Amino acid sequence: MADLAGFSRFARTYHEGELIFSEYEPGDSFYLIQAGRVRITKIVGDIEKNIDILSAPEIFGEMAILEGAPRSATAIAEETVKVLEFNRANFEILMMGNPQIALRLLKVFTKRIYDQKRRFMILTLDDPQAKIADVFLMLDETQGSMNQGDIGGDKREFKVTVDDVAHWAGMNPAEVQSLLGHFSNQRRVELYADHIVVKNINDFIRFVNSKRKK
Amino acid sequence: MPKVGTYRANSVIYFQGDQGDKIFVLQRGKVSLNYNDIETGKLIREIIQTGEFFGVKSALGRYPREENAVVLEDANVLAFTVPEFEAFSMSNTRIIIKMLKVFSNQLRHIHKQVENLMENPTAVNAEIGLFKTGEYYLRNRMYSQARYVLGRYLTYYPAGKMAEPAGRYLESAEAALARYGDGKGPAPLVGSQASAQASTQAANQSRQDITAEAPPKAASAQIRPTDGAGLSDVAKEYYNAVSLFSQEKYQDALKNLKRIVDLGEESEYVAKAEFDMGRCLFALGQWDLSIKHFTAIVQNAPKHPDMGDILYIMGQSWDRKGDKARAKAFFTKVLSMPGDDDSSARIKAKKALNAMGGA
Repeated sequence: MADLAGFSRFARTYHEGELIFSEYEPGDSFYLIQAGRVRITKIVGDIEKNIDILSAPEIFGEMAILEGAPRSATAIAEETVKVLEFNRANFEILMMGNPQIALRLLKVFTKRIYDQKRRFMILTLDDPQAKIADVFLMLDETQGSMNQGDIGGDKREFKVTVDDVAHWAGMNPAEVQSLLGHFSNQRRVELYADHIVVKNINDFIRFVNSKRKK
Repeated sequence: MPKVGTYRANSVIYFQGDQGDKIFVLQRGKVSLNYNDIETGKLIREIIQTGEFFGVKSALGRYPREENAVVLEDANVLAFTVPEFEAFSMSNTRIIIKMLKVFSNQLRHIHKQVENLMENPTAVNAEIGLFKTGEYYLRNRMYSQARYVLGRYLTYYPAGKMAEPAGRYLESAEAALARYGDGKGPAPLVGSQASAQASTQAANQSRQDITAEAPPKAASAQIRPTDGAGLSDVAKEYYNAVSLFSQEKYQDALKNLKRIVDLGEESEYVAKAEFDMGRCLFALGQWDLSIKHFTAIVQNAPKHPDMGDILYIMGQSWDRKGDKARAKAFFTKVLSMPGDDDSSARIKAKKALNAMGGA
């Protein structure tokens, strides 16, 4: 474990149930967990969805590297949590003395850059149906993602809701609902309350490729 | 140990779409990374300098290569596996820091590109999103979470579209937290109706000058006790008074509150009633009486739990009387009190001071 004894001035303690930050709040700090578990949640529709549970030595809130970007999720202390709090101005100080942490942050950034690029690819498709199909391809590509359930063959199960898909596709949920309805009528997807099944992922790959401008 | 590879001019180290687990450093020669810009589709050729790393992101992030690495002049290239690179980076922090800077710039850039494509940029929706998050927590009786989020809303958007309902909700959350504790008590907001109401109100409100302070509402204006089950007679009487207050029947509320204070039976409700009497006096425009009443509380109970609010209303009273200097002194006092940075009293005091020109 990295030597963090000199960083007590960045130390913060949160108690069970306390919010570290809220979704939509402008964020300028990011956090390294030293002890305790942090729950990452998002309110979708009228339900608070758990996205992740993090523990030491994970990093969260790293998108604060983007000036003025609102938080995309809420971080709540699941129990007594000790973190180190950093911002754009002082993260270099921490990283200099702690290459393990720097490496971890580097990996987090590579993942975020990929996510954003992939998102960009979805958004630049003109065809709304192709956008939706490409959201599923993106979820399928993301290795080790919690959203993905490979249930054999070309069939894929995704733990996502219509609102999630709408969010990724940058479309309004009503339109996504209607287009997913079309897919469902064509028996290409099955819609459930808490998950969506894509019957043949290769069918979606061909469909998206045919719509993407070369 | 990382291995040295020798590549001839015009050969390719890796192709776009390859799954690669190697990270490279150019030692000698000339290498170009060729890819199409995701926005314009234009072919970009990025020349790698000697000593420079490439292939880092796809190897560390375990995703397909995003460019063709083409050798322009005979080259020596050092290839690290990911574990080798990790070991190397432990003693070469400066390289990692440099990469962090490059990657964070790339992240900023791509994030901006994505934002530009969104129909509703998230920054625009953040204000309403933050308010709704607070509302969600309040509705679900997660009072301390609601208090945090609504406090944040008022910090970032003191004159925002939702500032008025946010202030009210914040007071409700604080009152409910003090009275019932997290997760307990009657639901402060019911279903989506409350939400719809708040939105309509905010829409009406948005045209008005929101910085002008409305008379403070009773802390529990939003709380509707369930048919008084489990409540003592004193408590019922108190909530009855609070209900009168929220209907703006201040004289009647004042009478009821005075009865509770005179009776002096349950100290918790006596303290609350004393405090709310001052609010009634303020709401009735009795600035002198309000100041006198609160001064007595401050003298008799210097550790009153609502001290921040007491000082704030005293400041408001002086302000209404036209004594700006005294008003300012009281608001400043609220800010100098130890404790929670995000209490509604502090936020309101800060707002009031700003409105008066200078904190």
